[in-house]
Amino acid sequence: MSHAVTLALVALLTPAFAALFLAATPMIRRQGKPAAAITILGSVVSFGAALMLFLDRLHSEGTERLVVPWIHTGGKIAAEAGVHVDGVSASMLAVVCFVALCVQVFSLGYMHDEPPADFGRYFTYHALFLFSMNTLVIAPNLLQLFVGWELVGVTSYLLIGFYFKKPSAAHAAVKAFWVTKFADMGFLFGLLTLFVASGSFGWTAKLDPEVATAVTLLFFLGVVGKSAQFPLHVWLPDAMEGPTPVSALLHAATMVAAGVFLVVRANPLFEQAPTTRTVMLVLGAGTALFAALLAMVQTDIKKVLAYSTCSQLGYMVAALGAGSVFAGFFHLTTHAFFKALLFLAAGSAIHAVHSNEIGQMGGLAKKMPLTAGAFTIGALALAGVPGLSGFFSKDLVLEAVEGKLGSIPYVMLLATAFLTAFYMGKVVVLAFFGTPRSEHAKHAHEPDWSMKLPLVGLAILSVVTGYFAGPFAHLNGSHYHFHLGLGAMVAIGLGLSGLGMAWAMFNKGPREVAAITAIDGIAKSRAVNRFYEYGFRKVTLVLSDLLAWIDRYVVDGLINLLGYKTIEAGRAMRPLQTGFAPDYVLALVVGVASLAAWAVLR
Amino acid sequence: MSASVGFGFVAACTLLSALFVVRSQQLIRAALWLGVTLLATAALYAMLDASFLAGVQVLLYVGGVSVLMVFGVMMTRRHEGIVVEAETVNVPRGVFAAGAVFGVVAGAIQMTPGLEAPLPTPPVVTIQDLGRGLVIDHVLAFEVVSFLLLIAVIGAIVIARRRDPGEAPIGFMPRRKVPAGSQEVSP
Amino acid sequence: MTLSHCLLLATALFSVGIYGLLTRRQVVAILLSVELMANAANLVFVTFSRFKGGAQGQIFALFSLALTVAEVAVGLALVILLYRTHGDTRVDLASEMKS
Repeated sequence: MSHAVTLALVALLTPAFAALFLAATPMIRRQGKPAAAITILGSVVSFGAALMLFLDRLHSEGTERLVVPWIHTGGKIAAEAGVHVDGVSASMLAVVCFVALCVQVFSLGYMHDEPPADFGRYFTYHALFLFSMNTLVIAPNLLQLFVGWELVGVTSYLLIGFYFKKPSAAHAAVKAFWVTKFADMGFLFGLLTLFVASGSFGWTAKLDPEVATAVTLLFFLGVVGKSAQFPLHVWLPDAMEGPTPVSALLHAATMVAAGVFLVVRANPLFEQAPTTRTVMLVLGAGTALFAALLAMVQTDIKKVLAYSTCSQLGYMVAALGAGSVFAGFFHLTTHAFFKALLFLAAGSAIHAVHSNEIGQMGGLAKKMPLTAGAFTIGALALAGVPGLSGFFSKDLVLEAVEGKLGSIPYVMLLATAFLTAFYMGKVVVLAFFGTPRSEHAKHAHEPDWSMKLPLVGLAILSVVTGYFAGPFAHLNGSHYHFHLGLGAMVAIGLGLSGLGMAWAMFNKGPREVAAITAIDGIAKSRAVNRFYEYGFRKVTLVLSDLLAWIDRYVVDGLINLLGYKTIEAGRAMRPLQTGFAPDYVLALVVGVASLAAWAVLR
Repeated sequence: MSASVGFGFVAACTLLSALFVVRSQQLIRAALWLGVTLLATAALYAMLDASFLAGVQVLLYVGGVSVLMVFGVMMTRRHEGIVVEAETVNVPRGVFAAGAVFGVVAGAIQMTPGLEAPLPTPPVVTIQDLGRGLVIDHVLAFEVVSFLLLIAVIGAIVIARRRDPGEAPIGFMPRRKVPAGSQEVSP
Repeated sequence: MTLSHCLLLATALFSVGIYGLLTRRQVVAILLSVELMANAANLVFVTFSRFKGGAQGQIFALFSLALTVAEVAVGLALVILLYRTHGDTRVDLASEMKS
């Protein structure tokens, strides 16, 4: 086994052992703190291995694999399981493990007040998630990727519904599961089609154009669900019912990025399907703009960040649709860092103010400078302020999309950049500057080290990652060179003006803005959600009622009829038994005579 | 020739008395006609050179079974004098069944060849043959039948013995409590 | 007197017995009919013994006779029982197996 493969296996299996161990030992798990220790220790090991692997890949070329036969059919091996290490998976693995570690450390402080049994449960799920995500990232074929995909979906369900006694949380968990499950059907059918067409689940097959388009479109359906693109975005805002660290890890940095990762991974297939890429470009750009508009009207800080995530994922999808795999992947990386940072900093603020509502915050910068600084760095990175990581990756995306499809997507993404800067600026100003708007806000204070340390780490990465675009590109199999074109200038201008406008408008505190109120009105209609409610839920229920009726009256009715008729037949036969012996003798005689006649006449 | 006439006469007697057995309106007469039928059958046996069997027939059937039947009739009638006791019912059914059986068997007999032959050579079945057959060849059957006779006699006694007033009419169980109106109870 | 004549006579006796079996209402009368039938069977045995040789037929006839006697004994005992229970010996009185 090569060095790289060993590291990959360590990164993959350590959280698995942690999760299994904790699942099997309720006595230890329910103590709380020991479970956290085990999980975090596992994550440290995992991240160490992932980091070493990443550095190793910077110096080596090529791909390392270790697979074992997994599914046998008809004498052949249909699928294998194992690890596949190359630049893409190594970098993704490092990102995932790092953010997971940060979030888990943060959770030590954030979830401190939970009862020990729940605390232990929480960390068990975290270990399970890390294992699942790693399975996805270093999968040697799309089938194992799908397994990891489904597993992270399960973990997401478990963690969104962590406060399962709260009806809204339980509801949100089920909703996330349903919506993504629907999308996963597409992924599954895509896998099946791929297998039928190419005989394996690998991503390097050469397919006919129609087949490639079909397969990639089906995969893209899975992406739309997992990465919360329109119209399957509806589960992501509801997913904020989960604890904030979970939102940071799963629903910002890693799980929702799995869809993007899938496209990056299966790029050889997507290259053969330009139609799918066009669809992706359109849908991604549309989602980005749509989500940014909705982010403007949210008053819950987590919901703002949720829609923002949705929007940025749209950026990534659009970049991939435009054909630049590296742009999409690099934006995924920078986004993972600064979005996780934003969520964790928001978590710190929420923890201090005991509320998600921005209306309850205000002036927190004075009381919580570190948090405020972290959040601001994240916001600026997201807005694409030059110098921070987000600027570099956004620039790449815009470059990739420029000129395609009559530049309409390009314009949409530029508009989105403006809106992004605006709404993030609004949040920063309203939450951290100005005057405190609640008692809690007046008495806010910084959290302890477990919550501060990850903020620092992520903030650093949010700044410096942009300068490592070169090595990242190399790992991704492409080149990076930086140039400041007109487009970039426009983007910078839009970003800065968005921030400036936000500052100007909300400096003095919250106020009504006509445009925002208008959008809010539309958002309140919950059109997409209602469509699903009636289109799917009600229809399904009607169908279920119909089937229940058939089962009760037709199927059961048939059986009951059969039973009743049997009894009737029995009753009809009763008169045969007269109890009168000569009658029986007659029957006997006639029977014997008949038999004898038959014997004689044969 | 005379054998045939004799046979015909005895056969007619047998058949006729059998008819009387089944058609007599009075039970006692039917029983007596049975005796006549059995006697005629004994005559047939004699004509068939089965003299021992003819003797046994007279002894057992005529002397035993017929008498038993007469006893049975006497013991089981009401004491209002001799009335029309033995009606016949459902005559068409009986005719149909009897006719069917006769038809089938007679048809079979007619269809079988080689039954037209006259009497063969004089018989060689002797008493010794019978004795040997009973006690040596078929001794098991012989023993079983004697055992069965024993059991039958004992059984008849057990079934028909006098019972104490409160005892069940049959078996060893106490008399069942009969719920009102669910069963015909004889007076 | 041929084989077929004797057999036909036995068959006729048997049929008469069946007729009596089915049409009589008194149990004793039915027993009488049963006697006729058994007698007819015996006749067949003896007939074949005579026409085909061998003592077998007569031996079976003897056995059959003995069995019939036993049957009559038990049958009449039952008749007595019936009479004791119901006061009469009509065959439809023994119809407790009626559904």
